[in-house]
Amino acid sequence: MKPARWFALLFTWLPGLLALAAVLLTTLPPGPTRGFDMQGFAAIPVLEGGRIKPLDSVARNALLMIRGKQTVPSQGRQLDPDEWILDLLFRPATADAQPVFVINDPDVLGLMGVRQTANRYFSFAALRPHLGAIQQQAEAARGLEAVQRSRFQSAVLNLFERVVLYDHLENAAQLADAPLFMELQTLRDPQSAARHRELAEAAPFRMLAPLPDGSPDAWQNSGEALDAAAAGRLHPGLPLLAEAGAAYASGDPAGFNASVAQLRGLTGNLRPGALEHARDELLFNRVQPFYLGMVIYVTALLVLFGSWLFRPDLLQPAAFSLLAAGALVHTAGLASRILLQGRPPVTNLYSSAIFVGWAAVLLGLGLERMYRRGFGTAVAAAAGFASLIIAHHLAMEGDTMEMMRAVLDSNFWLATHVVTITVGYSGTFLAGAIAIAYTLRKHLAPAPDPAATAVLVDMTYGVVCFALLFSFVGTVLGGIWADQSWGRFWGWDPKENGALLIVLWNAIILHCRWGGYIREKGLMACAIFGNIITSLSWFGVNMLGVGLHSYGFMDQAFWALSAFIASQAVLIVLCLAPRRFRVGPAV
Amino acid sequence: MTSLKPIARQAWALLASLPVTIVALALLMLLVVACTLAQTDLGTLGAVDTYMRSLVVWYQPPAIPFRLPVFPGGALVGLVLVLNLTAALARRFEFQPRKLGLWVVHAGLILLVAGEFCTGAFQVDTRMAIEEGQTVDFVESYHQMELAVSDRTDPAHTVEYGIPDALLRAGAVIPVPGTPLSFRVRRFFVNAVLSRRVETDPPALADQGVGAGITVTPARPATADNEVNATTVAVEPLAGGRSYGTWLVSTELGAPQAFIHEGRSYALSVRPRRYYLPYTLTLKKFSHDVYAGTDIPRNFSSLVHLSNPARGEERDVLIYMNQPLRYEGRTFYQASYGKGDTLSVLQVVANPGWLVPYLSCALITLGLLAHFGITLFGALQRRQPAPEAP
Repeated sequence: MKPARWFALLFTWLPGLLALAAVLLTTLPPGPTRGFDMQGFAAIPVLEGGRIKPLDSVARNALLMIRGKQTVPSQGRQLDPDEWILDLLFRPATADAQPVFVINDPDVLGLMGVRQTANRYFSFAALRPHLGAIQQQAEAARGLEAVQRSRFQSAVLNLFERVVLYDHLENAAQLADAPLFMELQTLRDPQSAARHRELAEAAPFRMLAPLPDGSPDAWQNSGEALDAAAAGRLHPGLPLLAEAGAAYASGDPAGFNASVAQLRGLTGNLRPGALEHARDELLFNRVQPFYLGMVIYVTALLVLFGSWLFRPDLLQPAAFSLLAAGALVHTAGLASRILLQGRPPVTNLYSSAIFVGWAAVLLGLGLERMYRRGFGTAVAAAAGFASLIIAHHLAMEGDTMEMMRAVLDSNFWLATHVVTITVGYSGTFLAGAIAIAYTLRKHLAPAPDPAATAVLVDMTYGVVCFALLFSFVGTVLGGIWADQSWGRFWGWDPKENGALLIVLWNAIILHCRWGGYIREKGLMACAIFGNIITSLSWFGVNMLGVGLHSYGFMDQAFWALSAFIASQAVLIVLCLAPRRFRVGPAV
Repeated sequence: MTSLKPIARQAWALLASLPVTIVALALLMLLVVACTLAQTDLGTLGAVDTYMRSLVVWYQPPAIPFRLPVFPGGALVGLVLVLNLTAALARRFEFQPRKLGLWVVHAGLILLVAGEFCTGAFQVDTRMAIEEGQTVDFVESYHQMELAVSDRTDPAHTVEYGIPDALLRAGAVIPVPGTPLSFRVRRFFVNAVLSRRVETDPPALADQGVGAGITVTPARPATADNEVNATTVAVEPLAGGRSYGTWLVSTELGAPQAFIHEGRSYALSVRPRRYYLPYTLTLKKFSHDVYAGTDIPRNFSSLVHLSNPARGEERDVLIYMNQPLRYEGRTFYQASYGKGDTLSVLQVVANPGWLVPYLSCALITLGLLAHFGITLFGALQRRQPAPEAP
């Protein structure tokens, strides 16, 4: 090959390779913070929500729920979740001064006598004088159905629940006013039993692995372990935890690191599998593959936009290589979740968003290989980015790898029905995304390009066929699952109806096209309308709060969904409007 | 006289036409949306009856005494779709390998809808509640009630007779086969509210038993999923040429009320309609597992003993989530539980057409795969090899 060709090839794949190299860098463990081996502590497995996970996952999910972000700014640097939870467990006074509660609702701020300003983050210490009022309002709101609560009531209840979570975490290892090593010295004091019970009840997770003679599920929290110790059965991990806590509180990194290493060694002896799982999940948490994927997708999209202005011969392949790198990271993240959870890819709304994006990206990659015009790259990168953003917001609801409720506990049906129907969503969204690309092109491109338009129409038609196939098969498999578990094939449950709407809409599009009732513009407008139907079926029915698939009322999501639907309606109008239309008299 | 033939031909062509398909599909979409939204108010059953299982959707304006038809119902639209599809198949069918996939898809669709009509017509949903250690030989209806007459003369061997609620119409006289009894129905309420009678109330419907002190107010039949009808009936037992007075019997009245005729004691109650089985199930153990350290349910399962003397079957069966017991035309599913995890509730479904959806779905899936596969293959064949990237 000629040197120029080598150069072109290198330039084509270099951006993708660079992105992958950057991702690999994030897998390196960070060094100790202030001399403390915080990662070592956060990698200790705990039992929470019915599953084994590293303490890091507990900290991350809690911080996401309480603060909406995974970091806390403190004195000019960012605390990561591991440092935050260490403070919370062993230096409560320091933690209470950190601004971790995000409060957006002006009426809730008003309840605290605070005027709404740019600062939306408050510390527990700032909330403390108002806890009584918050609890009173929250209790009143709790009595109402979710749909009947006012915005203020939803917000104050939500704040109260976050305060409760915070309080439980703060009292997970030791009561905030009684360090664990003191408890060990006063095991049999008359007042101790009550404190042990309080600890045992508050602790949201269990950190001490089951002893060889106990049941494999008998993980203990500090309270339970203190109670056992008072009865003469001291868990060897309890003094280690106490030493680690005392060393952390007194600023003794060497002592802390030694105790943590011993505690991990002990846990590894008692439950080697749990320690390994926690280590793997910690790595997954640290890398944040879906966040990285999101960044790579948006870069690919920007490079592709650039290619329409400058050197398409170089930038378009570069964008494609970035998209491929993003898809690789996305795939790795998805595969890690499957391995960590031991479940098929889609188990809840969060993972459905991850998977919808993943399938759309793969489809887009395939389209790009078939047509090579950059459209496949554009819609795939946009779809991947959008779905990962949605997933990012859904992650605020808590552990994204929560255990499956009994009726859903069937890997066979999760792998067939749920995956197929989700691929159907991907297809419908991808067709809609291509139609949006068509719409924007139509109004923004300097001159009409019939060949490019023909490619877009071809792609949309093909993807609608694909979507019909998968949404139909997925819906039917759902019916068969329902027949297996409840004895009825079809029950007009809202989620079933939503899936049926997608099938019907895709069928209408295809019949209209076969009959010649819609052509280029009509097909595209219909495909955009498919976005509305799919978003309603995906999220809208969950907001009704009825039926077997209602996972909870999501009121913030309601406004996001409304905005999305409005944007799609505008795009449909734009799609049908003549090219280069202007408001006002034509020139 | 002009021939009707051209008109018939035109009607036939219209019935088989694509616009009819598209309009019907669009109407179906609207109905599905309406049915989904209405579920928050009407409950699933009410919404489905109003929008999907009806020929016409009615609207009751507030000021007018009669209701207005406002939209075709799901059953009508479904019927039009099936006719349209059948007509289109009959009219346009030609054997072309290229179109084979499409024909299979549409034949499968007809089968699917036919199967759903069959399910709607023949499926019987019932339930069986068993406590641990208890042996049960009947299933109960969810919605239908019956007036139960139990001959309790011999406490060790109760003989039960059931009069289905469909027969309980005011004025009817219903003989109970196998007994000397007949019942005259005085009043019947599908759903009612019972209250203690006060001075100002109209006279009580009953003059015997606790009913003499109770006022009955009719209520709208329940449609929401968690509502149950308080079915109530006022009956007059007749036997040996005499009346035993009027008794008020209701699901709301706990203890059965009994009268004695010729030395035999008959107890009256209203309860969910029972269907007796030629075999019995005994609940040996109900398990409700949770994930460690949480209340999240992990599994529900019932270990039952199945006993069918007629067929010489004696065996244990474990019924759990997604794993029902299919036996003699009925399917038993783990549905619910109660009484501190000692009571298991099984949903019991008899649906002779349960296999039809499986068949039709397999057909449609194969057809879609074939059709889109052929189309994709054709598209790839037509495409010029794309120029290599520079």
